[in-house]
Amino acid sequence: MFLTLLKKELFIEFRSREVILSMLIFGLSIILVFAFTSNVSKVIVTNYAPGMFWIMVLLVTVLGVHRSFSYEKEFDAFSLLISSPIDRGLIYLAKWISGFIFLTIMEAIVIIPFFKFLLIEYPSDLLLSVVTTLLINLAIMSVASLVSGIAMRANLSEVLVPILFFPLVSPVVIAASKISAGIMAGDPYQLWQIWLLIVISIIVIFSLVGYTLFDFITEE
Amino acid sequence: MQSFFKQKINIISLLTVTVFMLFNIWNIIYNTPMVPEQHWAQKIFYVHVPSAWIGFLSYFVVMISGIMFFVKGNDYWDRVSLAAAEIGTIFISLVLITGPIWATPIWGQPWIWEPRLTTTLILFLIYVGYFMMRSFGGHVERVKRYAAALGIIAFVNVPIIFVSVQFWAPEIQSHPQVEIAKQPSDILGPFLISLGIFTLLYTLMLKYRIHVIKIKNKVVANV
Amino acid sequence: MLSVSRLSKSFNLRPVLREVTFDVKSGETIIFMGKNGAGKTTLLRILARIMTCDGGKILFQNKDLLKGSPDKRKKILYLGHAPAMYSSLSAVENLKLVMNLRSTPISEVTIRDQLEKFSLLEQSDDIISIYSQGMLQRLKLICAELVDWDLLLIDEPFTGLDELGEKQMKDSLNQWKISGKTMCVVLHSRQKAEKYASRILHLEDGVIKES
Repeated sequence: MFLTLLKKELFIEFRSREVILSMLIFGLSIILVFAFTSNVSKVIVTNYAPGMFWIMVLLVTVLGVHRSFSYEKEFDAFSLLISSPIDRGLIYLAKWISGFIFLTIMEAIVIIPFFKFLLIEYPSDLLLSVVTTLLINLAIMSVASLVSGIAMRANLSEVLVPILFFPLVSPVVIAASKISAGIMAGDPYQLWQIWLLIVISIIVIFSLVGYTLFDFITEE
Repeated sequence: MQSFFKQKINIISLLTVTVFMLFNIWNIIYNTPMVPEQHWAQKIFYVHVPSAWIGFLSYFVVMISGIMFFVKGNDYWDRVSLAAAEIGTIFISLVLITGPIWATPIWGQPWIWEPRLTTTLILFLIYVGYFMMRSFGGHVERVKRYAAALGIIAFVNVPIIFVSVQFWAPEIQSHPQVEIAKQPSDILGPFLISLGIFTLLYTLMLKYRIHVIKIKNKVVANV
Repeated sequence: MLSVSRLSKSFNLRPVLREVTFDVKSGETIIFMGKNGAGKTTLLRILARIMTCDGGKILFQNKDLLKGSPDKRKKILYLGHAPAMYSSLSAVENLKLVMNLRSTPISEVTIRDQLEKFSLLEQSDDIISIYSQGMLQRLKLICAELVDWDLLLIDEPFTGLDELGEKQMKDSLNQWKISGKTMCVVLHSRQKAEKYASRILHLEDGVIKES
């Protein structure tokens, strides 16, 4: 059943391309703004780059989850999901994993202009960067999907999602910047492993809590 | 519905808590020793730490009543969690005000990202969002469930926030409150008394607020 | 079959349903009537578990519907006002999804047969956001034909249908009635209600009044 739900998310996105495309364009615009505001031609921004990258990811995530939850409201499609005899926690898991996939695709495209526009060198350990980024994406999306699920049917959801999401995701943000900075500087793993633990614990806690809570919050 | 303070037990509690609190203030001002380097500034800890304790206790109550609300589906638990969220936020605000007041003379600046205060600030921001949802979210019945869910994830998140903030800036010294248990008994005694009296005050406030929310809901329902 | 007792629900603290109690026997067609805002749709949505209730009990086939595994709802089908389908998917894809969500997948051929029967075959691969209200209504009717249900909850089935559509809807309702299926229908027209009803239940001031 989880696969049916996940397939539905991916299929709708494949059809409309609303989520990924809007995330992508927004992400590129943010990079452009960063480049304009940080005077990149004269200053080396390597120290700020991890922060900039994750700020961009957070903003883009808000846009993405909001879009992904608002098409559930068109034609009251969400009531099809919750009136079907399915475990509602799976709806959360499908939203989470599909959001993770969209975010990862978006990052994969945006990462090249990010480094090129901001005139930064690629990190030396690419594999490590990719693996940690995937984990961080999972953590960010686990929080974002839950917050969006909670706020989606409240009024003013477009305001509530960022207001609730940013403070709740703050541990992930701290961890993400530390990990990226560590990798960029070529620090040994021991120096930043604690942050990986924090990211993983967020993934575990939010997926469990989200799975459990969705049963209660999806009904009108 | 009977007025809250017409009930004997409540009026007695109110008088007791008032007397205790007056005693507490007097006790803190006159009966505690001056800490040499901090002088008067140190006295704020007799208020600051109990406020933090009440704030976090209250948010814990929000989480528990959120869980109870989901399990029992009873409106009583929604009133408890709203009341606890409101009172918790009042005390958390007190923490965020008293912290910098103490820090300005001692550390030379009001805000240095001390882990406990930072955690408190993040929690405060989450609860600002919580109240925005409560007031602008529309559909009262739905928002009750969303608020319960939010109360749960906010508190579940606390340990992670705290750990990450602590490791984020390990060079920052922690509050002296960590060492409060090692303080001499003439500081520890009044401190524990203050903690107890604040807790009593909290219980009364919570009880009163639950009562008021119940009346308010009834009034809204009959309009 | 379905037993509802003391069901209550408020909106913004104002009660819409208070102590709604009724039983539906197997094979009955129950018609709900009442003023706008009397809570008919709310009642159906609670029975479909789309909406929560504040109190009360619902037994479906002797199982408590409000607690436990979602499998108990497998034989209930709810068709509301809104299409409850994805506007960016086509009719075929939506119907496939409906069946997959009930873990009863069917072949595309069967779906297309039904679409042809209800004269939607030409538009079957168009996304449903361009459908008219009548076409969406027919799509719901096809849902009811495809899904294997024991209890159908249907909200104002005749809204927006043209003459042919209305005839098809009438035929289907008659067909289900004859084959002994159980239905709860919200209707506004007394004439139609009397035609299909085993019993008419009036919702008034949040309680049921039988007539």
